Amino acid sequence: MILPYFENLQSGIAAKLETLGANEPRARKRFALEIARLGVRLFSPPRPGERVAWCGVLAPFDLLHAMGVTSCFAEFVGAMLASTGAVEPMLAAAEGAGYSTDCCSYHRAVTGATMQGLMPKPDFLIATSAPCTGGVAVIESLARHFERPLFVIHVPQRTDGRGVVQLADQLRRMVAFVEEQTGEPLDPARLARSMALTNQARELLVELYDLARARPGPARRRDLFNFGLVIGLLLGSEAAVEVARTYRDELNLRVERGVAGVPGERVRLLWLQNRVQFRSPLEEMLENAGAAVVVDELNSVTWEPIDADRPFEGLARRMLSIPLCGPVERRIALLQRLARDYTVDGAVNPCHWGCRQGSGARGLIERGLREVGVPVLNLEVDCVDPRSFAPGQLQTRIEAFAELLSQRGGG
Amino acid sequence: MYFLGVDIGSLSCDAVLVDEGGRPLAWSVVPTGARNVEAIAAARAQVLEQAGVAEADLGGVVSTGYGRARVEGRLAAVTEITCHARGIEAQLPGTRLLVDIGGQDSKAILLDGSGRVVEFAMNDKCAAGTGRFLEAMARALQVELTRLGELDARAAGRSLTLSSMCTVFAESEVVSLIAEGAEVPEIVNALHRAIAARTQALVRRVAPDAATLGAAMSGGVARNAGVVRAIGAALGCVLQVPPEPDTVGALGAALIARERAAS
Repeated sequence: MILPYFENLQSGIAAKLETLGANEPRARKRFALEIARLGVRLFSPPRPGERVAWCGVLAPFDLLHAMGVTSCFAEFVGAMLASTGAVEPMLAAAEGAGYSTDCCSYHRAVTGATMQGLMPKPDFLIATSAPCTGGVAVIESLARHFERPLFVIHVPQRTDGRGVVQLADQLRRMVAFVEEQTGEPLDPARLARSMALTNQARELLVELYDLARARPGPARRRDLFNFGLVIGLLLGSEAAVEVARTYRDELNLRVERGVAGVPGERVRLLWLQNRVQFRSPLEEMLENAGAAVVVDELNSVTWEPIDADRPFEGLARRMLSIPLCGPVERRIALLQRLARDYTVDGAVNPCHWGCRQGSGARGLIERGLREVGVPVLNLEVDCVDPRSFAPGQLQTRIEAFAELLSQRGGG
Repeated sequence: MYFLGVDIGSLSCDAVLVDEGGRPLAWSVVPTGARNVEAIAAARAQVLEQAGVAEADLGGVVSTGYGRARVEGRLAAVTEITCHARGIEAQLPGTRLLVDIGGQDSKAILLDGSGRVVEFAMNDKCAAGTGRFLEAMARALQVELTRLGELDARAAGRSLTLSSMCTVFAESEVVSLIAEGAEVPEIVNALHRAIAARTQALVRRVAPDAATLGAAMSGGVARNAGVVRAIGAALGCVLQVPPEPDTVGALGAALIARERAAS
């Protein structure tokens, strides 16, 4: 079921890209094409010499790429099932097995898909203890289900030099683990190439995020939806560089021409954490209220270029720089910086049900953003499970928030 | 010229008519029922008839409430948060904190003292503690909804505590308490304190120092003096209640209609 979906997606987008005119937006399609290609590789039957690893969100995908491993975070499947409208039977399967509906639906969806036989058997698994332990549990559960070896990266809470040393050491051990699984040593030249491509993509990402700050915001409704987290899957490859360059060029053109991504932008919003993955009227509601999401929390480059001479330390620094790791103060500081950089009028926190990252710091985030004059709308939605979506309630919240921001002079 | 505000809630459809000076001339509250278009027409007709005003003399209509998009010929649809803020400022000027409990949601609204919304919070996920909740509890207690305030006043208080705020579970808990011989006023008091505890948490999200602010309550539930007392006690203040609390949103909508028509 999933492989044909990705195959059709891949051929459909490839055909569409062929027919696009020179001035038509293509960046999102280019990005989607690479995601579809990744999906095809992940869900295709095993082929000699090709390895697949299911991972935690923060796994170093470029390092795995350098080792010839196709890898992906498991939550990607939850989001994909939700976006295609296929998630409900998976959630029901997980709930039937005893998982509470209070558990994160990204994880319930992956669990349900595994029970339904839809998840491909990986060669091995790599869990990361950040951003959440629920993610570790899912990867552990997959490892047990498929009887495949598991490596767990314990991301330290401390983000200083000692934290970097500790994490870099774990990454070296992860490489040894992967070498053991694949029977192939890490090729230093391939690693260097992968890190160089990561750094090239990084520079382009910095440029495109800078461009996205313009007024009016140049990014269209879904241009950068789920972008920052998912582009991480492509890092270390030519594809990431190509996608980031296409976005950079497209946004640059729009900024030069003063074209608004969301027509009628009156209030500018910062979106926290993840978007709502299933088809919903949410974005239309926002735009009808004159609100444009100009920046997502996860669409930011928080890390320095990877030092070619010390790649493990560089990768460790990158992992620790992700604000979902470490103390929440760092996350709040990033949100404050994004709010200022993008001159937002307000912020939206979906407060994804069952997510401690999403809901646990709700009050602290509200206070932190209030300090820089940015009110927060807490939606209290499940980003994956459409069964509890209440459009009427959400519409009132969104419209009232837009009215509040307009009264404050935002619109 | 006259201006009409219509608030289409889940339980009631309220209409207020104001004159050019913004003075309320007439108001009506009709059950929304299953067909809100009919309720809107009925509420509208009632206020026009009460005030002796012809349709042709209406200078503008603003709708609010969950059914706000169903009102035809409106100047604008504005959310109940903005409308309640505007309405309470007209009735109780200088209000800084407004608690609005309607049929299916609760709101805490922080105001700037001149009728503008600074911040708001709405009930999370479920509608426990709203008008629908009280309606179900009154049914379980076999008393009129309008008598809950009076029954609460007879309670000694604090002898009972409800453990669930889920409407279904609370209803069965109430039935069990009746079966165990608990006094109805004590059960009602426990219900009101449970609503107050939830409301207090909501209010604290927008106003940690609620006791120092001029606080008021609107919405149909504000007619229940027991709930008003319990919330006031939880917040450490006395909540002011306007004479027609259920039409505050419609009044705000009518005043916004007047402003929009002028601009």
